[in-house]
Amino acid sequence: MGYIIRRILIAIPTLFIVVTIAFVMIRVAPGDPAEARLGDYATKEAVEALQEEMGLNVPIWLQYLRFLKGLLQGNFGRSILNGKPISNDLKTAIPYSLELMFTGIVFGVLLGIPLGIYTALRRNALPDYMGRAFSLIGLSFPSFYLGILLLLVFAIKLHLFPVVGGGDLHNLGDNLSHLFLPAFTLGLIMTAYITRVTRSSILEVLNEDYVRTARSKGLRERIVIYKHVLKNALLPVTSLVGVYSIVLIGGSIMVEIVFSRPGVGKMMIGAMKQRDYTTLQAVVAVYASFVVILNLLTDLIYGVIDPRIKRGR
Amino acid sequence: MLRVSKLTLFVGILVVMMFGLIAQPVLGKDQVLKIALDAADLNVIHPHFANNTQDRAVVHLIFNGLVRYKTGDISEFEPDLAKSWEVSKDGTVWTFHLRHGVMVHPWNGHPGYELTSEDVVYSLRGSADPAQSAWSGEYAGMTFKAVDRYTVKITLEKPVSPSLFLPKVADYAGGLITPKKAAEDLGEDFRIHPVGTGPFIFKKYTPMSKVVVVRNEKYFRGAPKLAGVEVLYMPDMSSRKFGLQSKELDVIEGPPSQPWVEEMKALPGVKVDVFGPGEGAVLHFNMTKKPFDDIRVRRATCYALTRDEVVTTIGKDVADPMYSMVPPVLAGGLTREELVERGQQDGKDYLYATDRKKAKELLAKAGFPDGFSTDIYMSERGEYLLPIQNVVAQLGRCGIDVKLHIVDHATYHHNMRADMNSIDLYNCWRPTADVFLTHFYLSDSGVVTGESPVTNFSHIGQVDANGDGTIDSVDDLIKAARKELDAAKQAELWKEAQLKAQDWAVSYATHIKKFTFARRDYVDWGYELRSTLILSPQINELTTISK
Repeated sequence: MGYIIRRILIAIPTLFIVVTIAFVMIRVAPGDPAEARLGDYATKEAVEALQEEMGLNVPIWLQYLRFLKGLLQGNFGRSILNGKPISNDLKTAIPYSLELMFTGIVFGVLLGIPLGIYTALRRNALPDYMGRAFSLIGLSFPSFYLGILLLLVFAIKLHLFPVVGGGDLHNLGDNLSHLFLPAFTLGLIMTAYITRVTRSSILEVLNEDYVRTARSKGLRERIVIYKHVLKNALLPVTSLVGVYSIVLIGGSIMVEIVFSRPGVGKMMIGAMKQRDYTTLQAVVAVYASFVVILNLLTDLIYGVIDPRIKRGR
Repeated sequence: MLRVSKLTLFVGILVVMMFGLIAQPVLGKDQVLKIALDAADLNVIHPHFANNTQDRAVVHLIFNGLVRYKTGDISEFEPDLAKSWEVSKDGTVWTFHLRHGVMVHPWNGHPGYELTSEDVVYSLRGSADPAQSAWSGEYAGMTFKAVDRYTVKITLEKPVSPSLFLPKVADYAGGLITPKKAAEDLGEDFRIHPVGTGPFIFKKYTPMSKVVVVRNEKYFRGAPKLAGVEVLYMPDMSSRKFGLQSKELDVIEGPPSQPWVEEMKALPGVKVDVFGPGEGAVLHFNMTKKPFDDIRVRRATCYALTRDEVVTTIGKDVADPMYSMVPPVLAGGLTREELVERGQQDGKDYLYATDRKKAKELLAKAGFPDGFSTDIYMSERGEYLLPIQNVVAQLGRCGIDVKLHIVDHATYHHNMRADMNSIDLYNCWRPTADVFLTHFYLSDSGVVTGESPVTNFSHIGQVDANGDGTIDSVDDLIKAARKELDAAKQAELWKEAQLKAQDWAVSYATHIKKFTFARRDYVDWGYELRSTLILSPQINELTTISK
């Protein structure tokens, strides 16, 4: 329990620093959102009135305090571009982003770990070379490019999946049909990472003395692999899955754009294009929370798998 | 080990089957038109604040004006909510007679009601209020009165010509009529739940995804043939193209790019619409910055350029050369032929046909025999970058070395308005010659230093433009044109203002960039699409899908 509390206490200042940096950087960028919202026809009085309405006429420290107060109350405020409550948009967007990231990770783990094991156990044979080549390609492909390729093949040529949108979250079939290709895009990149890490981790463990001892005791190869190799090799894989999942969050932004999914990434790009300060702050805070929570979960899972971590050894 | 490989195979097949079997093909309903725009989300769909393409595309489905631009052709006005109108002899009182039986859309359980003069007056007063409208300046000095249930009287402080007045009450921006009861009932929510009288009724907005509207069975021009329209927000060009190919989308917005037009034309079952009015691109020379304070340098810069080369760079299908500040499609615009003819009459060169020898001579006379170098900040967007790169290359041939600093679009806007550039390239459309000239040539509109800064980047009217030691301005011509009621005389004043500015070489129009959309060939707009102020195709009661 102490371990969990310690991890949570470390996460809070991290989150605070990230949202503060986001707040400052967004305001340092040039461009007046009031002018942008009203356009060239607006009178000076109209621009000033809107600046007041948006709370942009007060000192930046006061804007920051208001922002923090709202954040602590779970209130992200309203979009300065259209006055819509940001929380409403986030409620719509977060499920689309979470399901994409989660499914991408699941794809990556389900495909990457078996593939890593398979290639490691066939070191320097054809499957190993193929696995390594696949992994290299996966690591080299930008997510948006891979997404476009998959769309071209599976949606345009084979007509297996739809192209547009994120589907209806309340309609399982519709939702899954829209989810498969974007999640598979992220999953393939994740698979490439995990395959490489799993393979090298297993190869390292295979050279350990206790594996040699197990084999010399006459244990069957399957028992050696499952009981002695996998158990130890998968420990570093667990923590690296956490790290790569954070990379995947970044990749998910471009995937949401390519597949026009109404997620947080698309929300962020729209806010950036239109200098929507308040929405951008909220989105950065959400992404920072994703990263912090993922880190926290990784630490906790790692602690469960390897109790030595919890004991601080 | 064999089991491991089997496990991989099994898991893979299982996952694909899970998605593949449960997945259902998503087929659009046949009579719902799906149009995808190049935007991540809508901004606001209150007509008096909607000022970009993604918002206007929705607003136009829902609202009407007292009059309207002829569908597909902005050169004419025709009745809309008003069946007729007249103007007093002194040009200060406009009286509009409303159609009977125009029904306001139902909203939130309210069944809707008949639109009357009370709604029109409420809406126009809102348009004139800076707190309720982005276009309040356009309605300054107007008073609105409901004479009876179907008659609205608008009184102006000063008379203006029909070509300047009618756009204010047309189906564009502040002229779109917001029904009183619905606007008051919905309050702030009206911005994202619009209620109007147009061919389609707002149904649903899904953030970052789409707006859905459905057929208005009680539309006064007759129920639309489409069951509804879905306006989707898709910022990725490839996704829009794939959506069109897979027929999940019926219409998509394209970039103003020749290769894109050609790519779309090559797709089976796809048609391309390239339409106006387009956005005029003009180079503005900042006369407060050296060496552009010297008329010889500005003229040399003009002579160093070839419009055709800029147009070829952008693409012959998507751009046309433009020769002065106001595009020739508008009253007061100048064509190439007019500039040549007027130049011959006045013994001046208004056209600045390419003459690099002359450009170098002028530079030498101005003290720059080896040319000079200058820095400009430019937007990263293709519609700016492509032409400016060509301009820079052309100027380089005459020794004018322009160092281009590429910045994001918002920074570019900020830097221009902070008067940081020596040359500004600005793409835009304005509905009348008066707005064009007021924004770009009126002294009050000078960026930073003007009384009410807009986009006068050259500072014409604030500085000595022709080198005679006095301040040169076209303010009097712009203001006189505004008061002129005779259309021909008014157009002549606008042309005079531009000819003076051309003579002083304060700016150099390069091209007009058109708008590009692709559609499946089963979509019929129901009218000829030549130009539209909403910058995307108008979808109305005549539009059909015949799959």
